[in-house]
Amino acid sequence: MIDRDEHDLRERFAALRREESAGAPEFRRMLAAARTRPRSGRRDVGFLAAAVLVLIAFVAILTVRHGHRTPVDLAGVRVNVPTDFLLQVPGAELLRTVPRLGLMSFDRRTL
Amino acid sequence: MFPPPEALEVELERLHPAAFGWAVACCGSDRAAAEDVLQASYLKVLDGRARFDGRASFRTWFFSVVRRTAAEQRRRNALWRIWPLSLLGSAADGRPDPGAAVVRAETTRRLLAALGRLPRRQREVLYLVFYQDLSIAEAADVAGISLGTARTHYERGKAALRKWLDGEHA
Repeated sequence: MIDRDEHDLRERFAALRREESAGAPEFRRMLAAARTRPRSGRRDVGFLAAAVLVLIAFVAILTVRHGHRTPVDLAGVRVNVPTDFLLQVPGAELLRTVPRLGLMSFDRRTL
Repeated sequence: MFPPPEALEVELERLHPAAFGWAVACCGSDRAAAEDVLQASYLKVLDGRARFDGRASFRTWFFSVVRRTAAEQRRRNALWRIWPLSLLGSAADGRPDPGAAVVRAETTRRLLAALGRLPRRQREVLYLVFYQDLSIAEAADVAGISLGTARTHYERGKAALRKWLDGEHA
């Protein structure tokens, strides 16, 4: 059974081999074509170098543009939002008046 | 001592039909890609970038060069598909060349279809043993795997191939 299977597979592969070898290109023609073709390795290195250069240029442009950006003074920014009125609770003015050191008066009895 | 280029050329010419068949197998039946791989393999051997050290037979060694070159080509093609660089050059796109199509018998088409369903390693080992008439040990050398692994691939591949080929008659 095993031998018959192997024999059958060998016959099928032999048929495939006959078809392939009938359509195989000539050796001399292939060798001549091989000697005239450009080296793909060099081409790949060239494109890789070009890609790296493009990446470096892109990063450089981004860096320069970022450096020229106008600084924003956040201390002077006042944002008004529609929900501001919710923060207007009784006694809110007490929270805004923070006591400063040196100007505080201490009650000696609590020290 | 490496063989002179003239002797290498004679050896390569003698092996050419079998090497072409092996290259076609390594390239998933894409004959245009196989020609490309075989050209690159010939250049590697004749330029001395791949050197025969005499540890295996010349055929076994050269087939492993072809297998490695095909793997490199696959990786390169995958890279070219990811990067839109193919617009700039003329890399192989992996599609079969319609002009180079071969008229195949029905049984051969079935065999190729069944082989195409096998994992790559199993397909390689079966191809080397049945198509190239190598021993399993030689097939292991070409595929760069141990003898035990090659035997496993051979048995499993053969069983799967048998099942699919028998199944089509059922």
